[in-house]
Amino acid sequence: MRLHKAIFAAAWMGWQREMEWTNPALSLFIKTVAPTAAVLGAAAVYWFGSSFAGLFTPDRLAYIVVGASLYAQVGAYAYVPTAAISEGKWSNLYPQVYITPTSSIPYLAGRCLASFADSAPVVAISLAVSYYASYALFGSPPTILLTVNSVLMTTAALVVSLPAALGLGYILGSYSIFVSRFEWALPSYVSGLLMIFSEALFPASILPYPLPLIAQALPFTYLMRASRAALIYDSWSTFTTSMGYLALGGLILLIIGIVAFNQAERSARDKGLIDKKVM
Amino acid sequence: MTIVETHQLARRFESKGNNVVALQSVDLKVNEGEVFGLLGPNGAGKTTLIRILSTLLLPTSDTATIAGYDVANQTEKIRPIINMASGAERAGYEFISARGNLWFFSQLYGISTEDFKQRVTALSSQLELDGYMDKKVYTLSTGYRQRMTIARAFINDPKVVFMDEPTIALDVMTARRIREFLANQAKEHKRTIFLATHNMAETEAICNRVAIIDKGKILVCESPDYLKRNYGVPAYVMEVTPPPTSLKVFTSMPGVKGVTSTQDEERNVARLKFVVEKEEALDSIMRTISSLKLKVLSSWRQEPTLEEVFVNLVGSGFAERETENAS
Amino acid sequence: MQANLNLWLRSAYSRAWVRVKSTYGEPVWLAVNLAVPLLSSLAMALLYQSTGLSKYTGFAIVGGIMLAFWGNVLWSMASQFNWDKEVGIFEIYLISPAPISALLVGMSLGGILATAPSAALVALIGWAFFSTSISPSWLAVFLTFILTLASLYAMGMLLSSLYLAYGREAESLNNAIGEPINFLSGIYFPSIGTGSPFPFALQIAASLIPLTIGMDALRKSVFYADGISAIWLNLLILAAMSAILLFLGDKALKVLENRGRREGTLVVRLR
Repeated sequence: MRLHKAIFAAAWMGWQREMEWTNPALSLFIKTVAPTAAVLGAAAVYWFGSSFAGLFTPDRLAYIVVGASLYAQVGAYAYVPTAAISEGKWSNLYPQVYITPTSSIPYLAGRCLASFADSAPVVAISLAVSYYASYALFGSPPTILLTVNSVLMTTAALVVSLPAALGLGYILGSYSIFVSRFEWALPSYVSGLLMIFSEALFPASILPYPLPLIAQALPFTYLMRASRAALIYDSWSTFTTSMGYLALGGLILLIIGIVAFNQAERSARDKGLIDKKVM
Repeated sequence: MTIVETHQLARRFESKGNNVVALQSVDLKVNEGEVFGLLGPNGAGKTTLIRILSTLLLPTSDTATIAGYDVANQTEKIRPIINMASGAERAGYEFISARGNLWFFSQLYGISTEDFKQRVTALSSQLELDGYMDKKVYTLSTGYRQRMTIARAFINDPKVVFMDEPTIALDVMTARRIREFLANQAKEHKRTIFLATHNMAETEAICNRVAIIDKGKILVCESPDYLKRNYGVPAYVMEVTPPPTSLKVFTSMPGVKGVTSTQDEERNVARLKFVVEKEEALDSIMRTISSLKLKVLSSWRQEPTLEEVFVNLVGSGFAERETENAS
Repeated sequence: MQANLNLWLRSAYSRAWVRVKSTYGEPVWLAVNLAVPLLSSLAMALLYQSTGLSKYTGFAIVGGIMLAFWGNVLWSMASQFNWDKEVGIFEIYLISPAPISALLVGMSLGGILATAPSAALVALIGWAFFSTSISPSWLAVFLTFILTLASLYAMGMLLSSLYLAYGREAESLNNAIGEPINFLSGIYFPSIGTGSPFPFALQIAASLIPLTIGMDALRKSVFYADGISAIWLNLLILAAMSAILLFLGDKALKVLENRGRREGTLVVRLR
């Protein structure tokens, strides 16, 4: 009972924070226009590079548009625990949460949930806007299947990816407990590496061996594959296989994340870092 | 010689239909080499006055001058001869040493590196910063950061220095060291120190004169001793249990100028301080305490402090005034 | 006059020194500054490679180099004064006789020097991975690079003035404009001229951004040996933009300072 109350309260607070009610227009702009611009940037790179070689295909354009839209959102809510701990140290909120009966893990889970709820519709907006913008700019729409089934399947993939994102968030959060400066350094690198290794923009097979093995081990790769199976290839078998790997990989990453975070908090408490003032 | 002067100075803030009068009809003359205190609760207008004098804020009406120059229109003449420091400020670049920060700020005044070296050596010694000067700012404790901040405020050899609660959140020894430094700067170097504070002890310790400010108005401006002799009234302190739920019954009594209360929750005791017009008011106070079934654990007469002066002038203490301002 | 010049130069130099010393004194800054431009440009280079045409991977590397500087302009120039305001340094600037324009120029020069190692690493690592061939006209490359930086940092000065008016939303504004400007300016692909996917009207709009003009000229001078005679118009526009943006930035700061003094919004501090 207490656990779900803590998660709900944290989600409510995270929602207030994410939506930035003091300036909803700016908040909406940041959440939709900025990621859409990133998606279109990647699409434009593909269009330019492939057109001159006569290799442009709408299928491949769709591959990039879907991947780039999803990548931006996963990156956003995997970063939430780091942001929550960092701002919590600054405002003294983090130590206050730490000493509550439920402590910080449900709090961070709630914050991630809020970010997820806020980001998921943005994926849809990015996809829709990118679809029409691509049509206008490149003269050819990406071959994205917009049906009830494909939307439901993609939504399911996003939901099943939540444990993986949360697990990654806890791992990154473990690092931010110990640092009082440059907390965003590690998440920036991880976010960039995900762009390369999670098949967000290109298949892992183009990477030199043994780098594709990293992609195979990441649950986020299967989020991309499942979503593309739903939105582009209409392949139920690929979808279900990828969802299986995503669920399993997500569960493992979540367990690793929780264990790592607990260890980190124990060690930080031992060293007196939980309430170390950020100057 | 008068170095800071204001004439009917006023400042209003307008936002979304709300009009806040932060300062009204402020007349002040501060002399060279004086430590001038500005005493009042939070929200009284101390920081607003300092912001106007330091050229950060324009007055709404009338004038203020520093060394004869108008703060509104002659900032280029004023800025080279003033400086400022605030308490609880983090004004320094974290990844640079204290010495590096002080050098940087000295360059904003066009000071040569040779002059800087001489000044920083003297300031470092006076503020007991030796040994910390080459450490990066993010490694310094609050006390040493504040010493660095104070040193920064004197690096350009200013004629007037504005201090806005410089010892807030500092330990007793550091606060004392800074006060001694400020008093010495005024005495030895004829600098004018304009000190805004709500710390009574600080004001009594180093200020030559004190202006008491409340709701944007200067109520009185004299030396601390003069204020206590002429405006200080007897205060009686009583420790009672249980703490009374409201002080209204006391404040409305004839002869009682004001009441302040601090509570010790562990002992379930309230320390009530009564500022009275005449000693005869004590009888009414004792009768009221008895009727409220409060037990008096101890009581004594207290020599006037500046808080009693404030209560006598305004009718409530700093804490009570700040609560009123907030609501 | 001499005294004013002396003060201006000391203020600019010392502000540049603070920026350089902060970065080189904490090596982790170099790693932090490297993350986004390096990984982003590697990802785009791999994307080019996956399209079947590896020859454009160099576009991604050059984009990554300029992204390092653009990121510095956004995060260390445009929003710097807001951070300074929050910790109480900005009011010290205001009450000192130092001209704010000197501090801005100092921040710019310091920012360029502090970012240079990250940009160089992006270039080195990128070329090591992809072995892209280049055909540079070095004088044109040098002039383009200098003028692009000048106009970018002049834009940063203007943004820092405007951000003062927006206060705490500065970080949100950076997040809002970063990616759209990357896209419109064609940091990784030509957004104007040959190969641009944009309609003419959008190309004109994109050309108002200094980064667009600079990227176009850089690609031409680095990969196609276009000399000054081929990109003179780009260079002229960049020079004009630098001057205009510097002027606007200085004016905007003065207007905002006066407004701030009147309305009492100059100083907002976290206590």
